[in-house]
Amino acid sequence: MSDPVFRDPRKAFGMAVSAIAEANENVVILSADSGHSSGFKNFQAKHPDRYFELGIMEQGVVGVAAGLATTGKIPVFCAIAPFATLRPYEMLRNDVGYMRQNVKIVGRNSGITYSDLGSTHHSLEDFAIMRMIPGFSVLAPQDPSEIEAASAAILEHSGPVYMRIGNEPIPELFEPGEFKIGAGRVAREGKDVTIVSTGSITGDVLAAADILAIQGISVEVVGMPTVWPLDRERLVASAAKTRRVVTVEEHYVYGGLGTIVQEAMNETVNVSVLKLGIPHGYATSGPYRQILAQYGLDAAGIAAQVSAFVI
Amino acid sequence: MSQDVISCEYHAAKARWNVVRMMRASGAGHLGGALSCIDIVTALYFRTMKNDPANPTDPARDRFVLSAGHKGMSQYGVLAEAGYFPIEELDTYGQLGSHIPGHPDMHKLPGIEANTGALGHGLSISLGMALGARLSGGASRVFTVLGDGELPEGSNWEAFAAAAHHRVDNLIAIIDDNGLQISGKTADVMGLEPIEDHLRAFGWSVRVIDGNDMEQVISTLDQVPFEEGKPSAIVAHTVKGKGISFAENQVGYHYWKPKGDELERAEAELEAQIAAKQQELVGILGNTAGNNAVLGGVAPPAAAPGIASAQTGERVGAVALLLELSQGKA
Repeated sequence: MSDPVFRDPRKAFGMAVSAIAEANENVVILSADSGHSSGFKNFQAKHPDRYFELGIMEQGVVGVAAGLATTGKIPVFCAIAPFATLRPYEMLRNDVGYMRQNVKIVGRNSGITYSDLGSTHHSLEDFAIMRMIPGFSVLAPQDPSEIEAASAAILEHSGPVYMRIGNEPIPELFEPGEFKIGAGRVAREGKDVTIVSTGSITGDVLAAADILAIQGISVEVVGMPTVWPLDRERLVASAAKTRRVVTVEEHYVYGGLGTIVQEAMNETVNVSVLKLGIPHGYATSGPYRQILAQYGLDAAGIAAQVSAFVI
Repeated sequence: MSQDVISCEYHAAKARWNVVRMMRASGAGHLGGALSCIDIVTALYFRTMKNDPANPTDPARDRFVLSAGHKGMSQYGVLAEAGYFPIEELDTYGQLGSHIPGHPDMHKLPGIEANTGALGHGLSISLGMALGARLSGGASRVFTVLGDGELPEGSNWEAFAAAAHHRVDNLIAIIDDNGLQISGKTADVMGLEPIEDHLRAFGWSVRVIDGNDMEQVISTLDQVPFEEGKPSAIVAHTVKGKGISFAENQVGYHYWKPKGDELERAEAELEAQIAAKQQELVGILGNTAGNNAVLGGVAPPAAAPGIASAQTGERVGAVALLLELSQGKA
């Protein structure tokens, strides 16, 4: 077994978008003093005319993005997730969503990956609020290669997109391939329980599946790098087979992937859902992996909860 | 006074009449602010802006954004007068599925560039439009009307700062400074006067005018950008409710529900204003059949749409009424 490759998700994203922007002159980068940390420092040096530094004013940035999009540009705005979503939320709904503009919002350092900086810098409700804006697709790619492929897909897609990425280096989980917005993937086949996962936590889910395999529990892992709209077909096919569904996400247990899966289950095969995530509150701060462990979201914690659910 | 000024005054009078036509259709609406800025909006569409009602999505057009979206009747009234859509559309104001909702929707009506209504959004959107036009190498300009009452919204100041920083001189902000907002005088609610000092401090080139004086409005708009490399701002002192005597400077007419014979009185006043401007124009152009056709009076409105019986004042049991409504009987 070769050593796993870990990469910074922000660099994977920034370099992928910059490469596409080389060829597509309509792509413009917006920064709220956030572009360099999003991987666009080189792009700014090379294409200063298509890099708009606006300072720390996220509400205005989103409005500017909508205005640019009305002229045929494809604005990409990446910032720390809560500042890219919560602060300008009304602009996202009215200026981007309601106006149906082709704007790409990327929340980085998402979930609890800005671990020790505390709750002001965590984003544990972004799936919930962003899926509520009609027209937005909501993405959380699972590994660096998927981030690259998703970056290409969102620029190809015509319409508003919210994509969240973290900042901790994350391992390559899958062979590089094409990314289709709205499509899930069966990352591992199994028969006893389906674990639906999104974002980089899919790595811990796959590790949990290994732990559970030793206990004799066969896990099917369904990766959902598009949280909304959900790949219902793939979910229902798996749930109908295993009759048990667990969701895992770096998000509140309410309003995000778990809720979306639960809605789908209620309306289709009526399988009960165990939702794993961060409990509704202001999460603790500290080293990232330790926070995950505290909330039972590392491989061992996930395995223990799934085991108790199945048996 | 020049023909251009009188011509714009004539169109503004007709646009005001269009506003009252919408009020007749809906029975309620944001009147005061629509009438304070309507001279400016008229001048923009009939004189200043490169725009073509037959080709409203021309990429080379100048753009108009109404940041204070509740003044939408001003834009609808002017767009109808300019021929962007059939005038009968005005009779749908306030009705189910109307293309002219209480706040503008760009996907419902030609000529609308942005979905405004939540205050403090329009200038940022306009800045993006201006930057996009500049990046594309075009000559498009973006004109944005803001209300003085919406200036405390912080997002405005984000855009004011960023526009100056980026030297966006194809962006023009016009503050419809009518001095009143729903709770009273703007100076009492959240005073930012003198507004021009704030704008200058933020790096804008500023002129202060009487925004209901068409000659000043036109000549000032003719001069933008006031300085190369700077965004331009016009602080336009206006009268809320301008053109309808009993509504002028009355905060109660911010949102108007016509009572008694108010609609008829408003229409009579505006028809007199239209006729007076017509006379002035005829005096300049000559009394020919062609000119009379161009000048034509105001189109008669369709019969006022039926208003639900619930509005006649008769007391009806609430549950019974809801039942009737749900059965389509009311």
